[in-house]
Amino acid sequence: MTKRILARAAMLLLVMFGVTLLTFFYTSLSPVDAAQALAVRRYTRPTEEQVTEVRAELGLDKTFFEQYVNWLGNAVRGDFGNSYNTGKPIINELIASMKPTFIMAGMALFFTVLFSIPFGVLSACRKGGFADKTIYLFGIICMSVPNYWIGFMLLILFAVNLPWFAIMGAESMKDFVLPALALAIPTAAGNIRVFRSSLIDGYSSDFVMYARARGVSEMKIAGMVCRFALPPLVTMLGQGFGFTIAGSAMVESVFSIPGVGSMLVTALNSRDTVTVNACVLVIAVIFVLVNFIAEVINAALDPRSLTRRNSYVS
Amino acid sequence: MFRKIFRKPQAVIGLSMMLLVLVCVIFAPMFAPNDPNKIDILHKFAEPSDKYPLGTDDMGRCVLSRLIFGARVSMSIALPTIGILAVISTLLATICAYAGGLVDRIFVIVSNIFMALPPFLVAMTLVGAFESKAFGISISIIAAMWVWNAQVVRTYVLREKSKPYIITCRMSGCTELRIVLKHIIPNIVPHLLVLYSTGFSSVIIMISSYAFLGLGLETGTAEWGAMLVNADKLIYSHPEMLIYPGLCILFAAAGFNLFGEALRDICDPREG
Repeated sequence: MTKRILARAAMLLLVMFGVTLLTFFYTSLSPVDAAQALAVRRYTRPTEEQVTEVRAELGLDKTFFEQYVNWLGNAVRGDFGNSYNTGKPIINELIASMKPTFIMAGMALFFTVLFSIPFGVLSACRKGGFADKTIYLFGIICMSVPNYWIGFMLLILFAVNLPWFAIMGAESMKDFVLPALALAIPTAAGNIRVFRSSLIDGYSSDFVMYARARGVSEMKIAGMVCRFALPPLVTMLGQGFGFTIAGSAMVESVFSIPGVGSMLVTALNSRDTVTVNACVLVIAVIFVLVNFIAEVINAALDPRSLTRRNSYVS
Repeated sequence: MFRKIFRKPQAVIGLSMMLLVLVCVIFAPMFAPNDPNKIDILHKFAEPSDKYPLGTDDMGRCVLSRLIFGARVSMSIALPTIGILAVISTLLATICAYAGGLVDRIFVIVSNIFMALPPFLVAMTLVGAFESKAFGISISIIAAMWVWNAQVVRTYVLREKSKPYIITCRMSGCTELRIVLKHIIPNIVPHLLVLYSTGFSSVIIMISSYAFLGLGLETGTAEWGAMLVNADKLIYSHPEMLIYPGLCILFAAAGFNLFGEALRDICDPREG
């Protein structure tokens, strides 16, 4: 098993390498000339030589591959260069903005689990009944609204009409409850459906019938079914965590949280390509790592999952 | 198949919601009581009246008209997007999965790399890279989502390919192209409809998220997400301004989701 996990880790390295190339390629598609933009900011009306000078300073006069190798070499050592906007090292700002995003995403993961498991079990047990149908309907509604709108609705309900929460701020843990809920609700809606159908699958499979025939207690059977039904949910939770960080920009903007999402949007709007590169790379690396952790957990739950060639899609 | 759809209440409700949105898109100028972009500073935040059924916004523009025209903006971007997306991911996945062997291996590795970037992240990075705004949104969503859809289509094709009737086809002398076009694709079409119907609602939500973040569309466009941009200032005074656009997104997206999910139950009766 260890050998197989190591093989997966090798694949992980390949994927990481591809990610850096893709990230760099995507941002290089932008038609905006960063050197021109910075020169305008520095000299108001730059001459042709001044633009060339700035371009050389930023290393933008080199070929795509030279730029890429240069950037990758520095990024591996944790040096993302200086922001075109502020001139300060990006890494400091990035670390500072990761903290609120991580608290928010972690809390959202907690809420997702809190909603997914009980409601998934409930609707699988009462399959076709009133509870199942209500959960189905709510699920469809929650899947069909953007998370930032849920954020606004939560604000109207729990900050304006009922003054339980502050309308903005990111100081105490309490400030993260509403943003985390806004992120968790649509994710949980999808997860409930996945967990429900894998539970139903589990209960209707042959091993349950065999266990019943042998007279195994229902408690033990429930444990077996859970072990069978958890892997798809774990995959979804891992993916959901990454999506949460990537999609945090909207919710952060609703609740005025200075996280990595708002940092990325600011950088995108001001054409600060180095900062965009850094943010995208860090989010992608987190996404890949979390998916890998989910895969390892699944391997522990169900060793067969490693032999399936493609474990991303269950 | 069609009879099954009409017997399922969720499918019928979903279909009629989809149709209603479509009617709104086509006949927007006839339904809208006012010009959605006419600014009337004298009538800021007007109360709902005969002239302005849902009142006016912070620039005195008719809210109802903006909501109706918002459907037009969303759908005119979302429809071509999902169409191109469906063609690209279905074609690629079918070819690679049917060819199998090395081609399929390479496809899996490449798609693992593409799937290491969350779709919304890719879309946000790419959206600014194009001259035309609507075109940029469309392309960036396609670039972000193709791999996720292709991955799902691949599993459908692999499952269909391993069925015994394909061997029978081959024995009776069908060409490979004929097997793919006449047997495999028609058999996975219901699954594809599920995939792209639910995919459509996420495209709608993505477009509104762009508009909300101020990426992509021109400022002041009558779009549902864009109508929420300055909404945080109105949260105490006019909370209804925040509620309406969201309800529109909910209605449009829920129609497609309901239809897709109902279709899924019909395709896989085991799970329902």
